Amino acid sequence: MKRIGFFCSLLLLLVGCSRIVAPQQVRPDQLSFPKLHFSFPTVVKQQLKNGMRVYLKEDHELPLVEISLLIGGGSIHDPLDKTGLSELFAATLETGGAGDLSPLALESELAAMAAELSVSSSTYSYSIDMSLRQQDLQRGIEILADLLRRPRFAEDRLELARKQLLESIARKNDDPSSIASRLLAEAVYPHHPFGSFPQAEVVRSFSRDDLLQLQQRYLHPNNVWIAVSGDVKQQQLLTLLKQNFADWPAVEIAGQALPPLPPPPTARIIIADKDISQSSILLGQPGIDKDNPDLFALRVANFILGGGGFNSRMMREIRSNRGLAYSVYSYFQVGRRLPGLFVAGSETKCATTAEVVTLMRQAIALMRDKPVSAAELELAKRSLINSFIFAFNDTHSIVSRKLRLDFFAYPPDYLETYRQKVAAVTVADVQRVARKYFHPKQLQIVLVGDSRLFSAAVSAFGLPVETVELRND
Amino acid sequence: MLRFSVLFALFLLLSGQAFAQPLAKKVQEHHLKNGLTLLLVERHDSPTVAAYISFRVGSVNEDSRERGVAHLLEHMLFKGTKTLGTKNYQAEKPLLAKIETLGQRIDFLKNRPDTDPQQLKQLRTQLVRLQKEHRKLLIKDEFARIYAENGGVGYNAFTTKDQTTYLINLPANKLELWAAIESDRFQNAVLREFYTERDVVREERRRSYESNPDGMLYETLLATAYEVHPYRNPVIGWGSDIENLSLVETRNFLHKYYSPVNMVITLVGDFDSAAALELVTRYFGSMPPGVPVPPVVTREPPQDGERRTRIIFDTEPQLMMAYHKPTMPNRDDYAFDILMQVLGEGRTSRLYQSLIVDKQLATQVSVFGAPGSRYPNLMVIALTPRQSCSCVDVEDVVQAELAKLQNEPISAADLDKARKQIFTSILRSLRGNSGLARMLSSYEVLGGWRYLVDYEKQLNSITAEEVMAVAKKYLTTANRTVVSIGREGLK
Repeated sequence: MKRIGFFCSLLLLLVGCSRIVAPQQVRPDQLSFPKLHFSFPTVVKQQLKNGMRVYLKEDHELPLVEISLLIGGGSIHDPLDKTGLSELFAATLETGGAGDLSPLALESELAAMAAELSVSSSTYSYSIDMSLRQQDLQRGIEILADLLRRPRFAEDRLELARKQLLESIARKNDDPSSIASRLLAEAVYPHHPFGSFPQAEVVRSFSRDDLLQLQQRYLHPNNVWIAVSGDVKQQQLLTLLKQNFADWPAVEIAGQALPPLPPPPTARIIIADKDISQSSILLGQPGIDKDNPDLFALRVANFILGGGGFNSRMMREIRSNRGLAYSVYSYFQVGRRLPGLFVAGSETKCATTAEVVTLMRQAIALMRDKPVSAAELELAKRSLINSFIFAFNDTHSIVSRKLRLDFFAYPPDYLETYRQKVAAVTVADVQRVARKYFHPKQLQIVLVGDSRLFSAAVSAFGLPVETVELRND
Repeated sequence: MLRFSVLFALFLLLSGQAFAQPLAKKVQEHHLKNGLTLLLVERHDSPTVAAYISFRVGSVNEDSRERGVAHLLEHMLFKGTKTLGTKNYQAEKPLLAKIETLGQRIDFLKNRPDTDPQQLKQLRTQLVRLQKEHRKLLIKDEFARIYAENGGVGYNAFTTKDQTTYLINLPANKLELWAAIESDRFQNAVLREFYTERDVVREERRRSYESNPDGMLYETLLATAYEVHPYRNPVIGWGSDIENLSLVETRNFLHKYYSPVNMVITLVGDFDSAAALELVTRYFGSMPPGVPVPPVVTREPPQDGERRTRIIFDTEPQLMMAYHKPTMPNRDDYAFDILMQVLGEGRTSRLYQSLIVDKQLATQVSVFGAPGSRYPNLMVIALTPRQSCSCVDVEDVVQAELAKLQNEPISAADLDKARKQIFTSILRSLRGNSGLARMLSSYEVLGGWRYLVDYEKQLNSITAEEVMAVAKKYLTTANRTVVSIGREGLK
């Protein structure tokens, strides 16, 4: 049927039909759609004898190769008197030269190949990302091997990276939204790496030996996971990896306990005064980790509350109905190992700060107090289920996601069962998890802005108020 | 910030490579009878489609009484149509008219010195009441709901100086849904909830410019470097512009410019091109052609002396320097692509090496073309000085590097490297459906992708002497604007 219709209209076009009949405006709900054909893409997994894991997906459309590495480690292991060390380690690994290459020689060679290289530190890992033209792959892998096996941590580049870090500390109070994020983390996680931020005197105390110790602890093949996508054949890649890494011996890596989280704080308001016309608002409290059995019910609940963009309650009431804010949202930072935060945020002109906070708190409370409607539940679930295929829209994200799921020991069928688990969530589940995980008595309210315009109004909430002075030290 | 001219390199670059021919062949260009341009690229790796609709109109086409209207209209086009977003449009109509009349009255009175504040307050309360009543007739954000439940992601729009673009990514089987919604949106839009959305945009301005040192610095730079040309105005509009935009102006802008002759549709993804052409023709083919957006005739007079501005703001210091330059397809613009690459792109670039590695006076540097590409634009150098260093020291080093470009031709190796980096960064931008759609769409809006045939040839034909010549011609003191931001008392 459809085919025939299509050929007819094509024919009309070909004969130069001069008048196209204007259709009655079709309403979307009058349409029916063909079935979508989707199958899970395959990713090749290999492990070298020394324990290095390799994930590959070939894609020959463009003459490029993308490489992403995850290395166990990260800022969670920075002792409290060395906060910022992992960041400095990553920056100096990236810029400090490797093997026979001085820092400048390494950078020049990469630049001449139009290659990109970056090293970064996150909570539970270090990442190295490299993007190469296909013809430079061999040299790129050699440089990567130098970086992992023979990093130089050149003194002058260590000093440069240190200065850059000190500068970012000096600028920590420039941007209101990053001030709010920092204050929220400090409020929820006192004396824990999650709530600790680099201090100038600590950063000045780091030595090259500190970096070498991290190298010795983490840079071993059995701690390295590598994801590759692009214009490379599987056999060619494995040969290259073996040539450069096969003789890199495995070393047993001592397990490190994760520092336990502090008890949840009690609800309070934290105000930082800044001379700006709009305040940054963050509400937050301890959340969940990835193994939480209520993960999917919370995803659905959060979509309805503030995660579903224009389809969320917070956006509808605060932005769309009242014009009080441009952006308003909520999310669970699902912790890969330790639980992460639940956060809700917005910005509004300073004078309407208390009004927006009140509406946000009401929206959270309503999730606990009343069941969501069947229509809200259905929309959240259909959106999460039907947009799932976009997780596989890009070759490199397919292979790097697969690697990340394994690295963090997600259930092996996590992706395959994702849609079923969303589909199983009920109205009762949503209210149950809302009651279980939204704790008004733990909610921290962080406000950064011209406090003269809102401090009286927010004190009416009856919560303790703390004022933080923003000092640039 | 986008260097659109660079994008032109794609297809020639592709044609030099083994994979190039097939992909270049994949781009299909169609013109409907009503003037609508359609670009199609089939890609069958994943069952998804990126759909972009761009109009050849942006904030540069506003006049001084309607600054911000292109962007506000973009927001208003998310509010539904005569059949979407409403329970009953006929019932809504009289209420919409009342709200508009009342809103106009408030806007009129609020700017008069002799207005009785009590009266104004009363009218505002009345407006809130009417809006509440109106909401009972609405189906809120219905576009967003339909797209979301059908698996759409990245449902959004953006307005720049030169263009306005509406985009979505959908599962491939939902392409007709997109055609139905979008053809309805551009033909039957109802600009409802106007005064609330105007407040939202006012908050957006506070967020992106007034509370944000980067935004504030950039906005001031443009308003200083341009005195006459509309590139000087922020896309979002100035605060009082937004507060006084009217529904009449917004509606007029829609009807004047949103028509097929100014419209480019770009689809990239998993579909059959013939079927997609048929679909687009069926849904968009009956729109009346409209009139092309007229070119902006205002010309910025040559800058006749250095301009300097200092903004006092609660932030550590930052600095921007700008030089007027021609835009594509002027030959000098290609030379600037090379020059900007050599100067500021990556850790081996000249400014990075001298300011950050050697002299350690700054922590960040970037060089880019701005604020648009349809009319003569600027080369901007953005700098973050170190705490202990003044903006003056940083500027001196930049001057020295610019002088070097004026006095010594860049080496063959540097020229080669710059070209290779530019071509490779274009390749990288092609990776996703959405990236490719965005590129083709922007490029088509600016001048048509036929220009690309020239680009690689042009870039490859640029000599070191020509780069030196543009440095001499444009990077002069008289052509320079310098704006800094920071707390009072600091240099």
